Amino acid sequence: MCVADSAAEARIDRTLVARALLGHDRRAFEQLMRRHQGMVRAQLCRLLHGDAAAADDLAQETFLLAWRKLDQFRSEARFSTWLHRIAYACFLQACRTKSWAARHAQDDGMELLPAPAQAMDLRLDLARAMRHLSTAEQTVLLHCVQLGLSHEEAAYVLAMPLGTVKTHATRGKAKLKTWLSAWHEAAGEERVL
Amino acid sequence: MNSIHDDDIDVLLRQSFDGPTPDAGFCDRVMQQLPARRRRSAWPLAAGVLVGAVLCSLSLFTSPLWRAAWHGWLVGEWSTSTIITLSMMGGMSLLALGWTLAEADDH
Repeated sequence: MCVADSAAEARIDRTLVARALLGHDRRAFEQLMRRHQGMVRAQLCRLLHGDAAAADDLAQETFLLAWRKLDQFRSEARFSTWLHRIAYACFLQACRTKSWAARHAQDDGMELLPAPAQAMDLRLDLARAMRHLSTAEQTVLLHCVQLGLSHEEAAYVLAMPLGTVKTHATRGKAKLKTWLSAWHEAAGEERVL
Repeated sequence: MNSIHDDDIDVLLRQSFDGPTPDAGFCDRVMQQLPARRRRSAWPLAAGVLVGAVLCSLSLFTSPLWRAAWHGWLVGEWSTSTIITLSMMGGMSLLALGWTLAEADDH
């Protein structure tokens, strides 16, 4: 999306927020939700390792919270970024209470991956490799690359210092590059043989 | 050459992302759960303004500067006190105007 489009989208969001606040206009909020539910649910689904039902529960909680706290939205960030921040806060809150967080946390300790015996499709390799990044690296790459947020926006959403976000992004990409290069070369050698 | 570049990683990551989740009735479900917004009552603000105005008047009426300014205003004489008081009132009004415009711009 170009800068002009992004600015126009932000202006539409601000207008809808003003309508929802001034006239207690539920339809304006519904429009805001229809515009942003897809990305918020995708964000939560990724954070929850594909658990769509849990993601929908958290997304619902996110929008109900956004409705209650709408008067606290100050247009310092884009509305979508503000929603992502609330969604991430809901996710962290759920992690403290729900058992699935512990279940998935078991996978996070592994730092190095052995090269697979057989060459695999690069995208499948990437999905595997992503699961073996640290939680922080996965989260930063999700927000910076897949959700398309800037480093500053990701820092706002994740409540992390900007430098930490940049470090996690760089380290995460470097690890993926190393692992995938090794696999890529293994696949190339197999093709040659 | 089989090496993978940073840009390739970005492209692969974007390709592996499924994109926005389709609505599939999600918004309708949430709208049914949406509670009515509580209207913020206006009386605390009005009471605060009133109490502030009363306290400000009480402190000003006992001030010799205000008395001298008021007297000068009544007799049509532009004394130093009158100019200082009017300048202060004008400055405060401009500040309030700027603040209101900034708040309106935020919303």
